[in-house]
Amino acid sequence: MAKILVIAEHRDGKLSDGTLELCKAAKTIASAMGCEPAAACFGKDDSIAKEVAKYIPTVFCVADAALEKYTSDGYAQAAKAVIDSQDVKGVLIAQSYDGVDFAAKVAMAMGAGIVSNCNKVAVEGGAPVFTRNTYNGKIQEQKKVKTDKFVATFEKGAYEMEAAGGAGAVTAVSASISNVRTKVKEVIATMAGAVDISQAKIIVSGGRGLKDGDKYKDVIIPLAKKLGGEYGASRPVVDSGWTEAARQVGQSGKTVTPDLYMAIGISGAIQHVAGMKGSKCIVAINKDPEAPIFNIAAYGIVADLFEVVPQLMENL
Amino acid sequence: MKIVVCLKQVPDMESNFKIIDGKSIDESQVAFKINDFDNYAVEAALQLKEKNGGEVIIVSAGPDRAAKDIRQAFAMGADWGIQINDPAVQAGDNFVVAQCLQKAIQGIGGVDLVLTGVQAEDDQAAVTGVMLAELLGMPHCTNVVKLDISGANMTVNRELEGGLNEVLEMSAPAVLSIQSGINEPRYPTLPGIMKAKKKQLDAKKASDLGASTDSKTEFVKMFFPVSDKKAEIIKGDPATAAKALIDKLKNEAKVI
Repeated sequence: MAKILVIAEHRDGKLSDGTLELCKAAKTIASAMGCEPAAACFGKDDSIAKEVAKYIPTVFCVADAALEKYTSDGYAQAAKAVIDSQDVKGVLIAQSYDGVDFAAKVAMAMGAGIVSNCNKVAVEGGAPVFTRNTYNGKIQEQKKVKTDKFVATFEKGAYEMEAAGGAGAVTAVSASISNVRTKVKEVIATMAGAVDISQAKIIVSGGRGLKDGDKYKDVIIPLAKKLGGEYGASRPVVDSGWTEAARQVGQSGKTVTPDLYMAIGISGAIQHVAGMKGSKCIVAINKDPEAPIFNIAAYGIVADLFEVVPQLMENL
Repeated sequence: MKIVVCLKQVPDMESNFKIIDGKSIDESQVAFKINDFDNYAVEAALQLKEKNGGEVIIVSAGPDRAAKDIRQAFAMGADWGIQINDPAVQAGDNFVVAQCLQKAIQGIGGVDLVLTGVQAEDDQAAVTGVMLAELLGMPHCTNVVKLDISGANMTVNRELEGGLNEVLEMSAPAVLSIQSGINEPRYPTLPGIMKAKKKQLDAKKASDLGASTDSKTEFVKMFFPVSDKKAEIIKGDPATAAKALIDKLKNEAKVI
């Protein structure tokens, strides 16, 4: 039976949450398409592959010293070896930093169409129709592939995480991994020793809507202090140097789950939402009524933040 | 160093978008600008040129309106450019664009480095740069947040989740996708804007480049997201809304 193949992602011996979400996705899509779910796992040995087998019935493992650390060349060659040795209909990859780095390379090696950054799949007439965010999350689109096989990447949270409990079979696949053109020297922590906002019960975050660094400091920090919380930021604020990187909430920064998260002048791009959507109560203040942040907030005020925040300060 | 920057013109994401027949956005309602991430790529290229000499070439696929933003990059300091202006490419997918970029770059010849933004703000695909690397037979690195080049040897930091960076060594020629925040993109100067008007911008069609316009994916439709968990919008003037919000946070959500 044709397979829907997850490519597992791991770092420091731990599977990513995204991989468990892909296992759930593979089972759902395979069942709708009359295929079977499977995974491929690459590493220096089969220890992580055995872990993957708790979540999906069939795991193909490529073990090679050259695969000890992730590289796009290594992963693409290993993926190709598994795909060539099996009847693979579709390949599922996480829209993570590693996933973005190698997914299109796998699609090119297969000659397949790729639909990236998906959040949903419907199967119509036996073929998958993918839904994905565009225009900074303001518009969604549906896409299909024109090729027989497909590659799709999924944004974090598109599917629930699959629970462990199975005892799948691990099959070794041999591959010759050669000509790896990038060499990993080290992985460094860029925020070591800095403030940790992830334990705060209340976080007030500011975004691009604050306009400049002085206004960010004048508006966001006093409100955070008055509420007894910490202040945070979306990526553009940190990129512009208005506050330190350790306060960045989102995919490339901190993941936070406070009781109250106030998103002020933040549009709600998926990369930011990934880091705060688990908050108990989300408040959004934004002058753009179509900002995607209003799709995940509990309460929203559509207005100029520079008029609303002083009023909040006065009434607290 | 001969550096190519792949640039895309995109709508301003704060526009009030309207969708026509579920197929396209109403362009008459939006302003266009350089894709944010590509601005950082242009700046990275200009800094490398200032340090090592050479030239910066802009390659962009886009209709007539895109010329304005290619010239914006010229005004920042890029030397010349190629605009792939072809309705068949506009209608194509990332793969079609990657093929056109490949042929244009091969046509330039002797390119040491190709820089792209991490993704386009409009299609949010983040696949074209990696496809381009594969087509050019070059190594690549995505989400680059730091870049040191000495001769053909490069040390690059690739951004990872949760504040981590992977430090990589690789050799030029290569394709790098540049992440926002790596530098501070410059604003064009008035003399820069004057010079930009006279810089060479070659127009090409896919057929001029010998590139196919056959897509591997197909657009079905576009629509505004429907959320089952839309925020309760608190109405009224700022003072009334602020009071009502505080009341709700205290007495309904009980979080302050």
